[in-house]
Amino acid sequence: MHSLQFSIPLLPTSRFKRHSVRCASDRQQLFNRIAPVYDNLNDLLSLGQHRIWKRMAVSWSGAKTGDSLLDLCCGSGDLTFLMSEKAGADGKVIGLDFSKEQLSIASSRQYLLSKACYNNIEWVEADALDLPFSNGYFDAITMGYGLRNVVDKRRAMQEMFRVLKPGSRVSILDFNKSMQPFTALFQEWMFDNVVVPTATVYGLAKEYQYLKTSIDEFLTGKELEKLALDAGFSYARHYEIGGGLMGNLVAAR
Amino acid sequence: MVRLSKWLLKEAGTGVNKTLSEILVCPLSKQALRVCEEPPSLISDSIGVSFPIKDGIPCLVPTDGKILDTDDTMKHDNAADDSADNK
Repeated sequence: MHSLQFSIPLLPTSRFKRHSVRCASDRQQLFNRIAPVYDNLNDLLSLGQHRIWKRMAVSWSGAKTGDSLLDLCCGSGDLTFLMSEKAGADGKVIGLDFSKEQLSIASSRQYLLSKACYNNIEWVEADALDLPFSNGYFDAITMGYGLRNVVDKRRAMQEMFRVLKPGSRVSILDFNKSMQPFTALFQEWMFDNVVVPTATVYGLAKEYQYLKTSIDEFLTGKELEKLALDAGFSYARHYEIGGGLMGNLVAAR
Repeated sequence: MVRLSKWLLKEAGTGVNKTLSEILVCPLSKQALRVCEEPPSLISDSIGVSFPIKDGIPCLVPTDGKILDTDDTMKHDNAADDSADNK
């Protein structure tokens, strides 16, 4: 087989795609680099609270027994395993991420945890902007701390809308870009005095600086609701949780 | 030990299970994919691209794709013709 790397310039929107691929590639490498310590750092930085927020996200998705479920930007699989428990033996869960390293860890965790219901999970390396699924396939979608990292949020919402069955929901958990001055200040303080120093100990100061920038560039709750409605969702509501530090967007097709 | 061997055998198999290959479509054309056993990959005939399967995980990021030579597509057609003739 002639091993030509698939060349993006063949596509009509080549100029736009080349720029977005460059940024996406940097983010992909970043998540590959932090993969080994990702879970430990999440536990440390949120004092274990992230586990509660993730359970809430899964509840909001409406996932139930027998469903076909998708966890986007699954990383090391926290949300995927929760979705798997909801779906049960008759259901199916796809854990999707564009970082090979994160998926490798997720796959190892699946083996180590060895709960029988986790057999309903399949891992797929793919891009949230070009989902490899046909229209109207999934009963529910979750996305945890992923939307903020995609280079084209509008496109990601459109793809989620496309692959959802009518009447189904997407539940998107992420940091909250707060309009409340006190919350914003507290978040800033947390970053400067807790997150970055802790990340520095792990040799990941630069990577966690990215986290701060990405929140600054993220959308507010109201903007996220509008993004979902513009993508075609009939209902969109953003809930603030974790004392306003986190937010969960729920949208229904 | 038995559990580990069973897991390793699954990973060493065709690369991806049948159910998954039926769910997945080409990330670009959204058309059906064809499973290739050796090397383990998913072929999108609609755009003439092959996506690898590594350690049982299908890699369907568009930049993971490799353009297939016409030689490769012809080889597949010839093989199909041969098996049709043998029938």
